[in-house]
Amino acid sequence: MSTLFALWKRGLKAFIRNKTGLVFSLLFPFFFVYVFGAIFKNQFIENPIAYMLSGIVITTVFESALNIASTTVDDMVSGFMKEVLVSPVKRLSVAMGQLLSAATVATLQGCIILILGMFIGIRFTSWLTPLWVLLTMVFVGVVFSSVGLYLATVVRNGQTFQIVKTAVTMPLTFISGAYIPISMLPNSLKIVSYFNPMTYATAFFRMIVLEKTDLSLTDLVKEGMAIDINGFIVTPLMSLGIIAVIGVIFIFLSTNSFVRTDFSRLNRSSNDANALWG
Amino acid sequence: MGSIIQVENFTKKYGEFIAVNDISFDVEEGSIFAFLGPNGAGKSTTINTLCTIFEKTSGKLLIDGKDVSTQKNEVRSSIGVVFQDSTLDLKMTVDENLKMHCVFYNVPKKEVEERIKFVLELVDLSRERKKSVGALSGGMKRRLEIARGLIHYPKVLFLDEPTTGLDPQTRKHIWEYLVKLQKERNITVFLTTHYMEEAEICNKIAIIDGGVIVAHDTTYALKKEYTKDKAYITTNNGPELEELLKRYELDYKLKDCFYKVDAEEKQKLLEVISLQKENITDIEIKKGTFNDVFLEITGKKIREEE
Repeated sequence: MSTLFALWKRGLKAFIRNKTGLVFSLLFPFFFVYVFGAIFKNQFIENPIAYMLSGIVITTVFESALNIASTTVDDMVSGFMKEVLVSPVKRLSVAMGQLLSAATVATLQGCIILILGMFIGIRFTSWLTPLWVLLTMVFVGVVFSSVGLYLATVVRNGQTFQIVKTAVTMPLTFISGAYIPISMLPNSLKIVSYFNPMTYATAFFRMIVLEKTDLSLTDLVKEGMAIDINGFIVTPLMSLGIIAVIGVIFIFLSTNSFVRTDFSRLNRSSNDANALWG
Repeated sequence: MGSIIQVENFTKKYGEFIAVNDISFDVEEGSIFAFLGPNGAGKSTTINTLCTIFEKTSGKLLIDGKDVSTQKNEVRSSIGVVFQDSTLDLKMTVDENLKMHCVFYNVPKKEVEERIKFVLELVDLSRERKKSVGALSGGMKRRLEIARGLIHYPKVLFLDEPTTGLDPQTRKHIWEYLVKLQKERNITVFLTTHYMEEAEICNKIAIIDGGVIVAHDTTYALKKEYTKDKAYITTNNGPELEELLKRYELDYKLKDCFYKVDAEEKQKLLEVISLQKENITDIEIKKGTFNDVFLEITGKKIREEE
């Protein structure tokens, strides 16, 4: 338990200390709000800024959670994971500590954007909404952190991971409906978006943030909060279920893979460390 | 005193390649043990297997009576490890690194503060306590790693080339501390080193070459066996000295301006010297160094690559 807490604290400290990283992680989303908000001004969405913001908040949570992969790879390369390896701590609690700290950081980042967003377009009418929003962010944070941790144990190389990140996560966020409504995508991309877990996270989160829980199913489909797959309608509840299933699968996969990873082999590829100690 | 590390018939293969071939040795509790060998001889493989990181191919390795393959957690609690490569958390401060280590090793909360002060004092890093590790110099990082390896009071401290790249003062300081630790706390120190003068401080030494142990004894015994004392004599009367040396059956070589004489048999040498006391202008007796032992045994220069 104490290991888990210590690693959680470590992740938070690293997040707070990285001030430049924080500033840039905030700049990017607002640039998107500005650009896409302008594009969609005259379309069929009633409040484009709020629509965009809800998408951007969840995308931030998603990307920040996946970032666990690069921090974990960094920890492997710097040798810190080797220190963990020769200590008597359980690897499972290390994996859990990494997961929870990533999920927390992701939620925090999402909150910052959400709070800033409240000045430019997001309005809550119920006191319960912020609570649901927070819970959803934590949930999505945990799920995608486990995906990220799994990636880290599979990829294990900082440079490769950067490539994977740009090649996979960026397109996935673009076809998740966060920025561009899925209904506006070409058909081939629509099919891809149905296989994208982000699509369901975005749809569910948007419904919570925009307080559209009592809309009828047809209206939800129109607003992009329920997904119509050739007549089969994925309700928000089903979306939640899909994310939960993905979460369970990847929590199992990532912790299992983390416990088995041979960190001792990774340190050798680190040239900086060799230059310093050789 | 009993053996704290017992290695019996340890073999490690990487596919077809045999890195360590059927080695056996013991390390006495409370001693300083040096593991020497040229690069690629199997040193790191052995140390990593003892530290529970690598799996053995066959054999038996025990630390404090616990098996390194089946009782990993018990072994891990009782050892401290300083690797060749840094394993510090570069994003955090000195203080945070040590505290994290205390959490990993279940150091009682009440003792954490006191132990951090103690180990930092020891390696002379008290003033750096709040600094980020990334901002420390290479030598400071290494000292911090040694401090961290000691903070949970391990029974055995493994050091893989602990002083490589450090300045002479720091090296001396670390050694003074290691010797003090061994005497006062009865910690066993298991280390690999490239510095032969450091090997001489150790109680026992094993030399590994090509995956097998080629020598395993006290430094004294190894030196006695593999090196010879030499006397360097300068004289005004060369021919007379040579004749005497021949008569007393002492081997010698004429170098530029002095004679290099075999000085193992001190009695004979003293007699030669006393007979020649009018002519001899200078005498120097040199003990064999550990470098000679190493070269004699492995036939390689240990620092060839550097």
